Amino acid sequence: METGSARPKAGLIDWIGLRWFFLLLSSSIGQKFVMGVTGLLLCGFLVAHLAGNLLLFAGAKWFNDYAHKLHEQWEFLIIAETGLFILFLAHIYLAFSTSFGNAKAREEQYAVKQTKISGRVIGANTWMFASGAVVLGFVLLHLADLRLGADGINLRGFKYTDDAFGNTLMVLKNPISRAVYVIGSIVLGIHLSHGFASAFQSLGLNHPKYMPLIKIVGKVFAVVIAVGFASIALFAPEIWRGYVPVSH
Amino acid sequence: MNHSTSKTLNLTLKIWRQAGPDQSGALKTYTLTNISTDMSFLEMLDVLNEQLIANGEEPVAFDHDCREGICGTCGVMINGQAHGPESATTTCQLHMRKFNDGDTILIEPWRAKAFPVVRDLVVDRSAFDRIIQSGGYVSVNTGGAPDANAIPVPGHMQKDAMAAAACIGCGACVASCKNASAMLFVSAKVTHMANLPQGQAERSKRVLSMVATMDAEQFGNCSNTAECEAACPAGIKLSNIAQMNREYMKALLFSCE
Repeated sequence: METGSARPKAGLIDWIGLRWFFLLLSSSIGQKFVMGVTGLLLCGFLVAHLAGNLLLFAGAKWFNDYAHKLHEQWEFLIIAETGLFILFLAHIYLAFSTSFGNAKAREEQYAVKQTKISGRVIGANTWMFASGAVVLGFVLLHLADLRLGADGINLRGFKYTDDAFGNTLMVLKNPISRAVYVIGSIVLGIHLSHGFASAFQSLGLNHPKYMPLIKIVGKVFAVVIAVGFASIALFAPEIWRGYVPVSH
Repeated sequence: MNHSTSKTLNLTLKIWRQAGPDQSGALKTYTLTNISTDMSFLEMLDVLNEQLIANGEEPVAFDHDCREGICGTCGVMINGQAHGPESATTTCQLHMRKFNDGDTILIEPWRAKAFPVVRDLVVDRSAFDRIIQSGGYVSVNTGGAPDANAIPVPGHMQKDAMAAAACIGCGACVASCKNASAMLFVSAKVTHMANLPQGQAERSKRVLSMVATMDAEQFGNCSNTAECEAACPAGIKLSNIAQMNREYMKALLFSCE
């Protein structure tokens, strides 16, 4: 078999032995593979994050103990946050890269386009870039609210203290913040309703025995994550209406 | 779609007319009367073309060859669906009884950067040929015919390979995909040979080379919407794309290619 003309000539990248890595991040299949891996790892983060945040329902002591123990392990936290940052960055880069490629692949559009899948509702799988963009916006706002900031004031001007529980309630008490958090959670759920199962297909893990289960787990996971986070934003400030923040 | 009860149809056609690759095109409206419901879709276009020739106009160019649904030459978008409303059916095997009297039918060429319009409804699908040229074959010498059952092939592998080999390369997968992705076509070729003994020697090189050519031809990526599977007249399954993804990653990370 002759090597196809599409295969590039040997260059520096071959000399340092990184051709495979270059193809992993530039070929159509490699990109979707990395997209799937990063997506599933971010799903893992969501599970841990939701589990921790559901302690908001348990009360100030539980949540603050959890938050303080987490932040005490700063060495671990640096690694975890760096890892998360890389996952987000790769996932976002690939979203742009694949979407640009897709847009270029059909410049002239059809006058009319209809699905041939009976009963298909044009939904999450058509809007992955848009739902991802909304989730990104929400994550940035969430970071500005509760992660970034210095000297007791966050990037939105809220004063915060060591009382992580109180800080969270303070953010969620603002009705606009609350609405944004609920919408962000729901759009995240929509993103996951396609993303979770689709990641398995991109990794090549499509098997007649397991695919029906993976699809069901994907939908259930999306609902659990969306309802879980949205319920915190909706109900936590109501349940703890009388809470007086502790200041140190 | 309701089956037509009348024996003949009066139709309004809106057809993409484009004189050449570099010319701009537009939809043009035609009316046809007394079209028999027994006609195939392409026969209906033949009637239109005879009418156009009689009027001294340019006939509508469209691709066709066997008209038996096996060659993969025909294929147009009919009311926004590749090969029209029927599943597992090529344009030539679509019959006018699937339409109703008074229908307006919109006919467009396949649209993809990699499939430039040559004229009217004809597109240049040589990008598919170049993908095949880059690895969609077996070049090892397999010698004389071996004894029966000397090389065991598990039944399910043989069935998967046969099902993938049913691809006729019509391009409906690309046409129906929102990203104009050729994954279903390429995956059918890759899995067809990856599942058979003859394909093993070049298994890694094949998938790397064919995917590289597919990307260079500027087909889009897979969003896993399954429109290709629904549009495919040969019944190629989405699971082929998953197998191609596996084949590609195995070849990229673990082969010496």
